[in-house]
Amino acid sequence: MKEITTDILVLGSGGAGLLAALHAKQAAPDLSVTIAVKGLLGKCGCTRMVQGGYNVALAPTDSTERHFMDTLNGGKWLNNQDVAWTLVEQAQVRIRELENVYGCFFDRNADGTVHQKAFAGQTFDRTVHRGDLTGIEIISRLAEQTWATGVDRLEEHRAVALIRNESGDALAGVLMIDIRSGEYVFCRARAVMLGTGGGPTMYKYHTPSGDKSCDGLAMALAAGLALRDMEMVQFHPTGLLAGEHTRMTGTVLEEGLRGAGGYLFNGDGERFMERYDERGERATRDIVSRGIFSEIQAGRATPNGGAYIYMAHLGPDKVRAQFKGMVKRCADCGFDLAGERVEVIPTAHYMMGGVVFDERCFTSLPGLFVAGEDAGGVHGANRLGGNGVANSTVFGGIAGDTMAAWVDRAAPLAEPSQAELEAAVAHCERPFQHSSESLQPIREALYDLMWEKVGIAREETAMHAALDELDVLAGRLRGVGVDASSRAYNVTWHDWLNLASLITVSRAITEAALARRESRGAHFRSDFPEMDEDQAKTFTVVRAEGERLVAGREPVQYTRLMPGESLLVEDATADEPMPLADAPGPGTSTA
Amino acid sequence: MTATLTVAVWKGDADGGFVEHDVPQRANQTVLDVVSHIQRELDPALSYRFACRVGMCGSCAMRVNGVSRWTCRTHVDKVARDGRLTIQPLANLPIVKDLVTDMAPFFDKWERAEGPFVPSETRPADDDFAVVEPAGKQRSWADAAQECIGCGVCYSSCDVVSWNPEYLGPAALNRAWVQMNDERDGGRPARLRAVSGDAGCHACHSQQSCTLRCPMELDPASSIAGLKRLSFKAALRGKL
Repeated sequence: MKEITTDILVLGSGGAGLLAALHAKQAAPDLSVTIAVKGLLGKCGCTRMVQGGYNVALAPTDSTERHFMDTLNGGKWLNNQDVAWTLVEQAQVRIRELENVYGCFFDRNADGTVHQKAFAGQTFDRTVHRGDLTGIEIISRLAEQTWATGVDRLEEHRAVALIRNESGDALAGVLMIDIRSGEYVFCRARAVMLGTGGGPTMYKYHTPSGDKSCDGLAMALAAGLALRDMEMVQFHPTGLLAGEHTRMTGTVLEEGLRGAGGYLFNGDGERFMERYDERGERATRDIVSRGIFSEIQAGRATPNGGAYIYMAHLGPDKVRAQFKGMVKRCADCGFDLAGERVEVIPTAHYMMGGVVFDERCFTSLPGLFVAGEDAGGVHGANRLGGNGVANSTVFGGIAGDTMAAWVDRAAPLAEPSQAELEAAVAHCERPFQHSSESLQPIREALYDLMWEKVGIAREETAMHAALDELDVLAGRLRGVGVDASSRAYNVTWHDWLNLASLITVSRAITEAALARRESRGAHFRSDFPEMDEDQAKTFTVVRAEGERLVAGREPVQYTRLMPGESLLVEDATADEPMPLADAPGPGTSTA
Repeated sequence: MTATLTVAVWKGDADGGFVEHDVPQRANQTVLDVVSHIQRELDPALSYRFACRVGMCGSCAMRVNGVSRWTCRTHVDKVARDGRLTIQPLANLPIVKDLVTDMAPFFDKWERAEGPFVPSETRPADDDFAVVEPAGKQRSWADAAQECIGCGVCYSSCDVVSWNPEYLGPAALNRAWVQMNDERDGGRPARLRAVSGDAGCHACHSQQSCTLRCPMELDPASSIAGLKRLSFKAALRGKL
């Protein structure tokens, strides 16, 4: 096993990872900062795929308070209010930094000022963007800066385990596999930031990048950390549906298509959304997803098992002009979005849940920090479109600053637990002990199981069955071998490791979904379809206890506002003056 | 549909060779789907790189029947000839294994062309956004060249890179052109010097393969021509 040492190790090169590395290096140039990533730097993961944009209160008539209220209302008040406040406040700092320091260029109004567009679920048009390819602009500029900044790069290095010290009370480093050589690499570090991103790719239909497999969350569970809000998986209603054999299936057809007046038809050719919501196709993501799912359940699906989106009544030329990127993408794949029906299906998009953390990105394990989709609590029960990339860049930068200040260079590096190292290597070696078989039956079984039993509509009996089936799948995976002729760039070995992570995190989602016996935000229980005010007061927490995962509940801390209160003057009743500039308002309270 | 594709896939390093597979043809099928099918069902040791699946990350570019393309957005029907596909790694880059190349030389040149933005000293981090009119001439030029995904298709398609491995290549020069037209950038004089050397913009022979092949429909050839103009003007003024 190769051993390397660094002061600060960042896992992941999305918005969280790149900002963490850049901030750490800037705050402490004499510390060694290393960024390790499963693919190529800045070219894998999901920040790059952001289409919509970056929510930030910039306009004089908008406010931090308004963005905060939109975030809490979207999150159905489950959010950790302190991290949510940090998000909306620091987004204003980070967006300027992205423009002025790293060189991102966002779209302008005709007069040269920055353009902010409307995005669903918000009471103000505050989404800064670069066309509909905002993520490419942000990540390309950050990656360039990272090359130029003296950060060490470990590309195509996949983290497989967080290794604690001998006493188990602090992190010692990270075990990785160098994908190109197939060699194990143990990287000792004084501080590690987990920024691998969530990405619910255990569902049959999913939007995230194909390299994503919840590795960070699985590693966090194995290292004893608690994950909160894991039942909260956001589905996007309109993923492309092109058959099981193509990687195109599940990729997003943008929200704006419905906003512009697109129709949804079921397999019988009926517009159906008005049966579920008076806003029809323009209802929120969760309602439209459930509407499509209900049609499928009722036997009114399209040939591939979904619904149709139809735009042509708006005028094919107009559609081509307004949705150029989407129309071209569909055309490349053989579909005419402007003129014909295209099959769509709700698709798993984002995980609101993640590692419990605080507004400085500390976790419960000394030496481990977290930011981005691996962190839980910012979005509560649902995420606003445009708060995702704000979340990763805001907290990535904070984590970089925190680690630079926290690292004690004089202290000796922790000695890794040999037992943990050996167990992690044994896990990775397991597929080489069996003869090579296709992983496809296990992958498909996992996809189907999560989609059918722990997907858009959930129910007690089915989820208990899902837990049993996940155990069976884990057992099957342990018995399946991988071609051992070469470890160098062995994609199938990494597919096996991906499935292991996904099965673990699927169990966490299922345990959390069983624990929340109400419907809230992205979590819908067909056996408990209403919201329950008692359960609104707690969030779910999943931990590993031995081989099992156990769900518990902890009280939401209303550190800034009680449910129903508002920071906005217009929401106040006449006899109840609202705190704005005066404490105990946000920005001043809590450490 | 029960048709079968005959697919020849590169295996090994630069001294490797082609291995043929039969792959079932489907109605909706990209070249990346074909490669994935081979790895999942026929040759589990096949190495290839992909990430986003939708043409945003630029990780999955390969040569398909001799032409460099993004494989995730290339429909089999558009490229198969008589039911045959030949799939190779990108040209002009070292092969790691099979279809995977080492893209480090490509991105190193991006940096050598001083692609990264240089903050202006007069604009602090917490300043408001610069006022930049989108209709301005320079901004329009920058906008037209900005959405590069770094896939390496142009670099693999460029004959000049094949002849002169030091040549910075279309993507790096296109990036430099964007920043030469970014009025917020404080590093323009140094960047112009960086792209005016022997391996810079003047090495381009204007064969336009980059523009022909760019999957994002950018026009690196025009960007390079723009850099040549800037470079000549600066040289005439004695400012290079």
